[in-house]
Amino acid sequence: MTMSSHFPHSPRREPDPRAEALVASYTRGADNPYVRIAPPVLQPAEPFLDLGGEDIRRRMFLTTDPEGRELCLRPDLTIPVSCDYLASPQAGEPAGFCYLGPVFRHRDGAAAEFLQVGIESFGRQDKAAADAEMLALGLEATRQYGVDAPVIRMGDVALFGAFIDALDLAPVWRRRLKKDFNRKASLAHDLDQMTLAPANGSKEYQGVLAALNGSDPKAARHLVTDLLSIAGIATVGGRSVAEIADRFLEQSAINAPTRLPRETRALIERFLSLTGDPDEAASELRKLAADAGIDGALGAALDLFETRTGFMVTRGIDVRGIEFSTGFGRRIDYYTGFVFELHDARARSRGALVAGGRYDGLLSWLGARAQIPAVGFAAAIDDLIACGALRDRGQP
Amino acid sequence: MNSPLILAVPSKGRLQENAETFFARAGLDLVKPRGARDYRGTIKNFDGIEIAYLSAAEITSQLAQGAVHLGITGEDLIREMIPQSDQRIVFVTPMGFGHANVVVAVPQAWIDVRNMADLDDVATAFRHRNNRKMRLATKYANLTRGFFAEHGIVDYRIVESSGATEGAPAAGTAEMIVDITTTGATLAANGLKVVDDGTILRSQANLVAARAATWDDGQRATVRLLFDRIAAQRRAEAFREVRTRFPGMNDALLTAARETFGVVSPFGGPTSSGMLTLHCPPDKVHALATFLRERGAETVSVVALDYVYDRENPLYAKLAAELERR
Repeated sequence: MTMSSHFPHSPRREPDPRAEALVASYTRGADNPYVRIAPPVLQPAEPFLDLGGEDIRRRMFLTTDPEGRELCLRPDLTIPVSCDYLASPQAGEPAGFCYLGPVFRHRDGAAAEFLQVGIESFGRQDKAAADAEMLALGLEATRQYGVDAPVIRMGDVALFGAFIDALDLAPVWRRRLKKDFNRKASLAHDLDQMTLAPANGSKEYQGVLAALNGSDPKAARHLVTDLLSIAGIATVGGRSVAEIADRFLEQSAINAPTRLPRETRALIERFLSLTGDPDEAASELRKLAADAGIDGALGAALDLFETRTGFMVTRGIDVRGIEFSTGFGRRIDYYTGFVFELHDARARSRGALVAGGRYDGLLSWLGARAQIPAVGFAAAIDDLIACGALRDRGQP
Repeated sequence: MNSPLILAVPSKGRLQENAETFFARAGLDLVKPRGARDYRGTIKNFDGIEIAYLSAAEITSQLAQGAVHLGITGEDLIREMIPQSDQRIVFVTPMGFGHANVVVAVPQAWIDVRNMADLDDVATAFRHRNNRKMRLATKYANLTRGFFAEHGIVDYRIVESSGATEGAPAAGTAEMIVDITTTGATLAANGLKVVDDGTILRSQANLVAARAATWDDGQRATVRLLFDRIAAQRRAEAFREVRTRFPGMNDALLTAARETFGVVSPFGGPTSSGMLTLHCPPDKVHALATFLRERGAETVSVVALDYVYDRENPLYAKLAAELERR
């Protein structure tokens, strides 16, 4: 079999001096120096596949070692840097790292090998300050390439999570809405489904659910075990009887509303449609929370949000220019809070020049015993060079 | 010398037999002049074509590269192995054999899972509970990814499987599978059930053409002739020839017959003596014969047709139009 002759690869090039200067400036860091590290290009594929989902597999360069372990060319540096940090004696302590190196991803019409510069900051408890610092350092990256006033898009995944938790919703809906936050088409579809159809779906369940109404978990497990044995099903694969019983129980909970009330849906839509600069958004959110009687539950997330905006102001960032949106997510499921992207104002459709956010759950997923706060960003050097070149040629 | 048109045919088993039968019905005998173990063949009394006997997977990859012009392979393999297959492959016609569905199957014990929405919820709950994603064994990674994305399911991992996929859940190497099935019996024997709306693709063997192949004038002429034979046989199969002659057979009656029975009159309307030849769909033949006799026919004869050649060549017209599009 012959390979397709069209295989996009990067031309060999000299190291970009501006990228080197940028990463060097991060190592000197005015507030916090970041230690430059260079994790191996070849990485175990498992964490990327498990965290990135199947969508990333399509774009990864995978290979197998002689013992059958799946390896990949690193598709990003967040996971490798996190793993190196966890393996170091500093694990759990505050520590910051910066990097400059190639990453590898299939991209339509663009080179599959491309340079990224970035920062990952671990273990800092002053989250609001750390978030604001990431945005400031990301802005230094665009400035280095002559993009002085990029469009700043910003979101906060934690607000949506706190908001959904504060609503009176069936657990199954809560799970689903949170999962679909990063996929707006699915979210709209789910809201339609929940408003129209009963939550516990098919009629086939009604008998089981009625039988379970008011049962305790133990009784539910017995019922499921009986049902399985009546049906002559001997083997239970993958999920335990307890898991199946618990899911039935959730759906049969007394007073579980069968449909999403229209006013709840309207509230969710109102929440997701909030846009503006961070100060406007915060006051709108406080108003919404008060109207819905959930100000208590949203309080902590909103306080963090406002403190963060304050730190941004302190760093001289023009927060009035930030395009904040409650619905803004980054399509990567490990983000847990602040997320941002920097775009060239003249070519927004070309994707983010710099992108990052907070991912407090990642390190414990990777094996840390306690939760370790983490935040970071990465900048696409090739795109920054292209932007800078446009500017140098004096194009509008 | 002109280079031949290459038709890739499955090299073994039921698919090969069925493919040979398909062509034989059109009077096209696939032969291996150098013996049964040869992997190259021709069609008896039909010039300009070469048969390449290949495995179904090879046929698909050769089509993707344009190394063969035509091929017979399952739609499942094309959709799985060739990205943007509609842009690269022309589906000329389904062939009526090799039926199989690509389906999502889960353990029968999951009595709370009926449809894909349940599966979505269970997958997310599984991740929260076990701190890892559910595994799905399949050799249809691309079809699975597309289908799961349509259903908004993200909390799962694909485990590549090259054989005996249906055994993976029992073996503990995956929680669920996507596999091909005809009757579902193998799935049931392994304690699995198909999710209600979990049919990803209803596949069958297709005659397909590769856009990327060279299509010179000689090859186009050859494929035109080949498709003409197939179309003539198809048309013949779709009709019975009905003949009658009686004075009351006039244009008005023909119009009534057309509207009621879907007949066509390939050789024109009734003659002055009321002689008429009709082509009638097989399931309408007896009703038509009754209709004609009630209106005065003494005798109505019906015969099966071997070939009906028409000026139109719909299979070739479709291919030609698609090749223009590139």
